[in-house]
Amino acid sequence: MPALPESRRVSRRATVGAALALPVVAAGCDIDPPRRRGEGPGVVRLTPDEELVVATAADLALARAVIEGATLAVPALAVTLTPLSQAHAAHADVLSGVVPPRPPGTASPDPVLDPPRLPADRDRALRRVLRSEQQLVRDVLRRCGQAESGDLARVLASLAASTSQHSAALSAPATAAVGGAG
Amino acid sequence: MSELDALQATLADEHAALYTYGVLGARTSQAASPTLFDALTTGYRRHRARRDQLRLYVLDAGAEPVAAEVAYVVDDALQQPAQLERAALDLETASTGTLLALVATSSGAVRGWALTEAVWSSTWLLGYGGTPTTWPGAPELDA
Repeated sequence: MPALPESRRVSRRATVGAALALPVVAAGCDIDPPRRRGEGPGVVRLTPDEELVVATAADLALARAVIEGATLAVPALAVTLTPLSQAHAAHADVLSGVVPPRPPGTASPDPVLDPPRLPADRDRALRRVLRSEQQLVRDVLRRCGQAESGDLARVLASLAASTSQHSAALSAPATAAVGGAG
Repeated sequence: MSELDALQATLADEHAALYTYGVLGARTSQAASPTLFDALTTGYRRHRARRDQLRLYVLDAGAEPVAAEVAYVVDDALQQPAQLERAALDLETASTGTLLALVATSSGAVRGWALTEAVWSSTWLLGYGGTPTTWPGAPELDA
């Protein structure tokens, strides 16, 4: 997926950043959350909504790892799974723009996970991906309900809807649209 | 916008959607286009249930539900199955956006319900020839 121009990245970060009431620096620098009282340097306590964003970013990394595992096991699935992979990359990109910087030595909120080893069977690999995506939808919908910010809830809802769409498309047999098929 | 205002706005959209679905279904031959006819019938029933639930939410909030218009404009040129399918696709795409707006301005049971309906519309439109997108109902995030 080609890199987005900086202006576009800031625009989408601003959308989600505003949802979390975080200061978004237009120059594209890292977001610096205010230090809570009594906390020393290096300690970043997350708000409930920030925790939802971090958890969702982690789940997206896991989902992408499963997709990669499926394409490694069955290279022919790469074409089928590329749209889903690209969608999740875009989802992660928007969310990563508002995750507070982590103290040195702590895990990245957008980790690159080792792909699981999946069987070299197309149907089994695809079913594994679908189970992963269905779990992602359930988790994101739950967090959407928990979000204090309405704008964040809307972002998570759209993410869940996108994942549901892609899952449905992967599950459906290859047929013509209903109007053309009669 | 308050949750009540968002509920009323969504209800107003549902009145229009239900009317449109009725017209699309009336212009579809069950014999010649059974798959499309069934899809439109399912869509009509879903939106009717959605309208009824929205009315209840508004009543629970102590307000009078906004009434449907006497009629809505549906292009007379939409007659062929592919055109009717496209109109249904556009309807569900718009519904997804409206429901996401309700998600943003609601909480608790209303938000949960709006979420379910938004996911349904965003998925149902695939049956009308739609394709998965990255940010259904929130196209500005795709910019």
